[in-house]
Amino acid sequence: MNLDPTAFKSAAHDAMGNESLRVALARMKTHFVVGRLMAVNRFGDFEAMREAGKAIRDYAIGSLDTLLERFEESVTARGGHVHWARDAAEARAIILSILREAGAKSVTKGKSMVSEEIGLNPHLVANGITPVETDLGEYIIQLRDEPPSHIIGPALHLSKEQVADTFRAAHTTLDAERPLGERQQLVAEARRVLRAQFEGADAGITGANFLAADEGAAVIVTNEGNGDLTRLLPNTHIVLTGIEKVVRDLGDVSVLLRLLTRSATGQNISTYVSVMTAPMGRAGDGPKNFHVVLLDNGRSKLIGTEAQDVLRCIRCAACLGHCPIYGAVGGHAYGATYSGPIGAALNPNLLGIKEASHHANASTFCGRCAEICPVKIPLPKIMRYWRAREYADGLAPKAAVLGLSAWAFLAKRPALYRLATALAVRILKALSGRRGAVRSLPLMGGWFLVRDFPAPSGKTFHELWKAQS
Amino acid sequence: MSSRESILKEIADRRLRRAPEPEPYHAPLETSDPVAMFAERAAWAQTQVKILDRMADVPAAIAELLRAKNMAASVHLPSDAELNALPWGNTLTVKTEPPGPDDTAVAIAPFAIAETGTLAYAARANSPASWHFRPGFEIAVLHANSVLPQMEDVLARIKQTMGPIPHTINFVTGPSRTGDIEQTLELGAHGPKALAVLIVRG
Repeated sequence: MNLDPTAFKSAAHDAMGNESLRVALARMKTHFVVGRLMAVNRFGDFEAMREAGKAIRDYAIGSLDTLLERFEESVTARGGHVHWARDAAEARAIILSILREAGAKSVTKGKSMVSEEIGLNPHLVANGITPVETDLGEYIIQLRDEPPSHIIGPALHLSKEQVADTFRAAHTTLDAERPLGERQQLVAEARRVLRAQFEGADAGITGANFLAADEGAAVIVTNEGNGDLTRLLPNTHIVLTGIEKVVRDLGDVSVLLRLLTRSATGQNISTYVSVMTAPMGRAGDGPKNFHVVLLDNGRSKLIGTEAQDVLRCIRCAACLGHCPIYGAVGGHAYGATYSGPIGAALNPNLLGIKEASHHANASTFCGRCAEICPVKIPLPKIMRYWRAREYADGLAPKAAVLGLSAWAFLAKRPALYRLATALAVRILKALSGRRGAVRSLPLMGGWFLVRDFPAPSGKTFHELWKAQS
Repeated sequence: MSSRESILKEIADRRLRRAPEPEPYHAPLETSDPVAMFAERAAWAQTQVKILDRMADVPAAIAELLRAKNMAASVHLPSDAELNALPWGNTLTVKTEPPGPDDTAVAIAPFAIAETGTLAYAARANSPASWHFRPGFEIAVLHANSVLPQMEDVLARIKQTMGPIPHTINFVTGPSRTGDIEQTLELGAHGPKALAVLIVRG
């Protein structure tokens, strides 16, 4: 598994030629996009709730220090432990030491993007601990040694035939002749195989969709129930999440949940919403040890910058499903944990402006992501901020800087600009001939491969305007 | 400086845009009959709903559910006094060990949410949380007067009646499912493959 965000251009090019990926991505339109729209319309005044969600998240980010301290106090009072990690390496070390203390050899895992962000699995394997992803999509990509291609549908780039091949290669003790042609057969096989893993696990690691400061609660949503078996069956439960996930209380969480599930999958609520506050104590069953690892990893550095609003994100992935770029190239082309518009807004901070430069630039600025974001993150504005930073830091590609400088030179000199544009439209008209369309231009072979350029009238807007008035 | 101090200092040193504390938002919901709304919306999420007149009718209703599904006449019961007091008779075998992935388990749901057709469980000694995820078929028994309009109401009621909130609260809406293969819904991922709710009016 090799993540290289700088290879975005060539990876995107390859992705667009991948027929099975194209089929998989086309499904998003009917599933995620239509599903979300129907759920939003069923709800009624979704707009008012988006405003409420935005206010809740803005308040939380503006009071992050006090809320985190309150969260820690609440968890500790109930017998849990809170750990603070400045970066990925610290988070990995903390988790490893908790697992070692628990004598854990086998660890089940609920779906966690933060775990992907810090590269937890390879670190555990290198230290003799076996992590088993239990979300079906995460399990499939773990078997294939791939990163997730989507925040909530990590394996959505795959067909059921590819999943069947993966299961046949991995589950070698099962009958080689068993039928795996139906999705239900694949789901049933994963259920059987993973149940044994749940029963035998020494520890479970989940993420958190939200943290509630007043109650000291970590809240997760799942549809499969894997997060709960991960928490409840082993002796030790570790929650790994980002510091920005905290809000005031479970009342705030109830509001954000309504936004999250409708935006993510078009559900009024996920099948399972679990509020996890403490070790089991004397009650029923559950983990004897409860740990929460809070990861910064550059999040706090966004506070006070023009990119601060990205911290409101609740990871619903609606911006991925609505993005024409993501829809064309999928998640793997980004070469990073987070893809799509939210990836383009997060990655320059997480990976470096130079490393993630292609992400912030891979946008048509159509604005759909900001239009549907449940907490109204101005994603194009944040991408523009990273582009400006790239330019200011002298990291923009030479060709782009040269082109923009030339354009700026013209644009600042109106007479010259008019002359140049008047010349350009006349040349284009002449080139189009009687066909009424330009068929090719130097250096633009790729663009003209599948398109013609409609011929201009031969006059600029300025000239036409002057003639009219 | 510890990581904790360093993170908190980093946050405090930034130009924190302290936002005004937002007023609580109340999601709109019009319901004159929470039980009917619960039943309708639970069905949206593939939950089977039956309405009974008395608690004593529960065992017979369960036997019927199992017959209709061609499942073994056998149920796993937690050590819950209200459930154990029911007239289980001889038609159903009652087991007390944790249910396996193809077994049927019965639970009392202390609360439910009308807005989403959701059951709410609070982990307690007589109500083990993992039992909502282990079985193949979960049958929940729900008193009609435990159906509250919204999640906020359930959380408030739990805080009122249970003291410190339980270590785990599980909100359950329908059987376990996944869309991870070709974005197409399949039931029975890790949790129950089917979910039924018996609402008891009496």
